[in-house]
Amino acid sequence: MDSNVKNNSGHTQMTTDSTVIDRRRFGRKLLAAGFVSSAVLLGKTEQARAWMDGTFSQRQDLPDAIRSIKKTYSDIDPYPHTFNDALVKNRLRDIDFIAGLGLDKENVEHYVYTLGFLINKYLKDGVEMGGKDVALWGMFERTSCSYQLYEHITIKEFERSFPCPFKPMLENLKKDPGTLKIQWKDVCKKWCIPVWTGFAERAGVKIKVKTGETCTVKVL
Amino acid sequence: MTDLSRRSFTKKSVLLSCLAALAPATPAMAMFDKVQKDPFLARDDLADALKSMYMTYDATYPYDHKFNESLVKDQLRNLEFSITKGINDKQLDHYIMTIEPILKRIKELVEKEGPEKALVELFDDEPCSYQLFENITVAEGERSFPCPYKSNLEHCKKWLKTFTIEWSDVCNKWCIPIWKRSADIIGIEIDVKTGETCSVRLQSPDTSS
Repeated sequence: MDSNVKNNSGHTQMTTDSTVIDRRRFGRKLLAAGFVSSAVLLGKTEQARAWMDGTFSQRQDLPDAIRSIKKTYSDIDPYPHTFNDALVKNRLRDIDFIAGLGLDKENVEHYVYTLGFLINKYLKDGVEMGGKDVALWGMFERTSCSYQLYEHITIKEFERSFPCPFKPMLENLKKDPGTLKIQWKDVCKKWCIPVWTGFAERAGVKIKVKTGETCTVKVL
Repeated sequence: MTDLSRRSFTKKSVLLSCLAALAPATPAMAMFDKVQKDPFLARDDLADALKSMYMTYDATYPYDHKFNESLVKDQLRNLEFSITKGINDKQLDHYIMTIEPILKRIKELVEKEGPEKALVELFDDEPCSYQLFENITVAEGERSFPCPYKSNLEHCKKWLKTFTIEWSDVCNKWCIPIWKRSADIIGIEIDVKTGETCSVRLQSPDTSS
């Protein structure tokens, strides 16, 4: 049947091919999801299950989380605080510290090594089975280090975008207490771009990064 | 009759105006005020926070994720790097340098309002604390909270297998020095007890000789 499709006119072929590709892609995604999720049963990817397992309503520690959100979002002086406030400040402080010592490359390599362990171990296989979008899934909406950092993540196939959390915070910190020396471009060049590129390499894909008030990461 | 009604109407109007203007805030007025002035209710970005919270607390395998997950992991990773590279002292110096102007402001407040203000500013009202510690128990002269690092470091060691620092490193090379050095700049003396529950207590004048 496939060979018959290939003998048709270009337009039909494209349409039919795209259907075939979509089916194939769907099949690959199912396979990858199956691999990444249910291979747990084989004892291979236990970590993969650590995501959206439907137990939210059974958690006994939700009051602590709600109190933290209430306190954070009631704090509007000198700027409206958001749930990622402390994390963004911590990251900026570390980038400032490391940049001052000229150790930014080593620091990024260490970060990718320490936190990218699971990417190397599992996500690469997921990408091979499910396609390149699985890499972005693993790097962004799948990991708490991203969904607790970015206020929201817009998901498109082969592309993720999100508002830069560092720009407004760096502006705030430069005003008060005014002790950080790095510039916004340092955050992009010495942290975000190399970290994403490092994780992507571990997942076996190449990416194109556009930084700005909204950052975009596309898989090539 | 008509004149009288008009007069009584006017009198009642004046009386009501006076009462409304002079009366102390009633609960209903307070509620009205609360809704209008509560900064939390005025926020229009709560949906993002709730989505992040839902994604976090719906993740319970291989361990329960919490709102401070990424912050704790980030601090542990930074500490792992600085200890491995032998630059932990410089990291502490840099941390204190970045917050020194804030600590000096706290010192001024403490001089006016007393040492309890230091604990309020360092823990209760500080996003870097209430977004880090799951809960903070407030007692006069003391704040205590569950250590966020112990369990997270255990998870990192078990699942990521790339962390080499020990829990005692976190206490001795991060928590204790930054609390003690912050206290020095503020001009107070504290006792720190680390463990599964940590506490920071103001030294009483009798014991702080």
